[in-house]
Amino acid sequence: MTRDTWQRLKCDRYGMTGLIIVAIFALIAVCVWSGLLGQGWSEVNGNRFESISANHWFGTNRLGQDILQRMLFGTATAFEVGLLVTVCSTILGTVLGGLAGWYSHGWLDEIILWFKGVLDSIPFYLFAAAIAFALQSSPWAMHLAMIITFWTTTARIIRGEVMRIKEREFIEAARAIGQPGLKTVFRHVLPNTFHILLVQGTIVFVAAINTEVILSFLGLGIHDGVSWGLMLAESSQEVLGGHFGNFIAAGTSLFLLLMGFNLLADALQDALDTRRAPG
Amino acid sequence: MNTPALKVNKLSVWFETGAGRLSVVDQISFSINAGDATGLVGESGCGKTMTAMAILGLLPASGVNVSSDCIEINGSDISTLNPAQRRAVLGRDIAMVFQQPATALDPVFTMGQQISEVYRRHTGGSKQRVRKKMLDALERVGFSQAEDIAASYPHELSGGMRQLAMIAMATVCKPAVIIADEPTTALDNSTRALILEQLNQLQKLHQTAILFISHDLSVVRQLCRDVMVMYCGRLLEITDCQSLFANARHPYSAGLLSCIPQISDKRPAPINSIPGQIPTPADLPSGCHFAPRCSRVEAHCRTTVPELDYANGRGVACFRPL
Repeated sequence: MTRDTWQRLKCDRYGMTGLIIVAIFALIAVCVWSGLLGQGWSEVNGNRFESISANHWFGTNRLGQDILQRMLFGTATAFEVGLLVTVCSTILGTVLGGLAGWYSHGWLDEIILWFKGVLDSIPFYLFAAAIAFALQSSPWAMHLAMIITFWTTTARIIRGEVMRIKEREFIEAARAIGQPGLKTVFRHVLPNTFHILLVQGTIVFVAAINTEVILSFLGLGIHDGVSWGLMLAESSQEVLGGHFGNFIAAGTSLFLLLMGFNLLADALQDALDTRRAPG
Repeated sequence: MNTPALKVNKLSVWFETGAGRLSVVDQISFSINAGDATGLVGESGCGKTMTAMAILGLLPASGVNVSSDCIEINGSDISTLNPAQRRAVLGRDIAMVFQQPATALDPVFTMGQQISEVYRRHTGGSKQRVRKKMLDALERVGFSQAEDIAASYPHELSGGMRQLAMIAMATVCKPAVIIADEPTTALDNSTRALILEQLNQLQKLHQTAILFISHDLSVVRQLCRDVMVMYCGRLLEITDCQSLFANARHPYSAGLLSCIPQISDKRPAPINSIPGQIPTPADLPSGCHFAPRCSRVEAHCRTTVPELDYANGRGVACFRPL
């Protein structure tokens, strides 16, 4: 199954383009984490608003910091937020959606759906602002806001899928070999939703990076460190003065990474679709 | 006398609805000895699968009612077990082979993983031991390249191989009883012969009792010693295969037999069918359920229910047997 999927993905030119773009950014993020790149993001090592040169590929900002370094560090920030939010909200959404689907129309399902309904009805940026305000001191306020709200979509999709899968015969067969109900959910039902989780995961990843940029732009996101959102916020004043360094660096990075992820998600969806005949 | 491997006494399954009680299995009793195969035949919708599910205790808890005096495996009653105790029995002492192996196997795990899971769950042991038992089970059903089969996903196998793998899964714990619910219906003739052959060998090898559910009498004759004919949730005739084919006593059994097309070099006779249709559980006729379709019906067939009447080891529920 995985082999076939990889074969199909390999033949998808757009999907492979997306994968390569994402892989390059991921590599940058790993290099930043391991201290090989972007460590000079906060150092002042030039004059203010230097233009593009061999020393400063994207010039410098109003404090004389190298914009390239800040962009590279921003990549790591984006991946950190993306990974953390994707993993946590996907796990939360899968478990809650799985339980809701397995016990559909029971009390547990009702409670989970009620929570989901409440969270979905709050405008997201207001909610994020409220949490950021409530947890002012915490660097994780933004992450928490995203995890708490992003699981609902995953849970809704998984709940529907579980309700479909649990009617299938191999679930009956699992009962016929004496598999307890809850164990069946985790051993046989949820693994069969993996293809959906993978696609949904990439979508959440994109949404998380996107949201991080917007929240940082609004001053609700990253406090200590730098992100593309903070760079875009800086650039809003600089562009009028004719300094495009921050804007181009952060804007292009964001555009490329999001496009890469979207291409990948699209291709994954096609490659994992078992209903489509191979080749 | 030995304790039978499977003994079912007065098993009933019914639905409570607004319109009253809909009976789908009505007070059936039978037993199968170790090493014997018994066929359960009848037309679609007569309650065969319901019987199997009720024996295993797999019917959903809501809406369906099951009652029985006892369901014994090697003398121990499984009808009174709580869910946890029942789970320990399912797959170990009694196992099921499903009609559609394509849908009864989990598509995202290899055959080896799925078979191992059954053994690990019931017996446990080291990784090597579980793997060895899994490969043994695959070899017992006739796979010479068990390693390859173990590494395959269900969709990579053909229908017949899937069914054999399913049988390997059912037999990995060497259960006393196997319930096979139309295991050959979805297969072509040559594959069917292979499956029957393997079931037959396993039955002799482990002294397993097999309840073989089928609507096809000719398949039952190949595998089973005894046969039970079911109609509208009741057993109409219990006998050994040879006597049934030589002289069926219940008019319904005789009707079923005449429906098997014969291959001969003469001009084929038109294929028979039993006139009328199976009544739905909602409007079962009182008295003998078969009476409206029966050619030998009498007045009191329509009012009184004939009991299974045993004579010379054969049981028949009819007032005017052939």
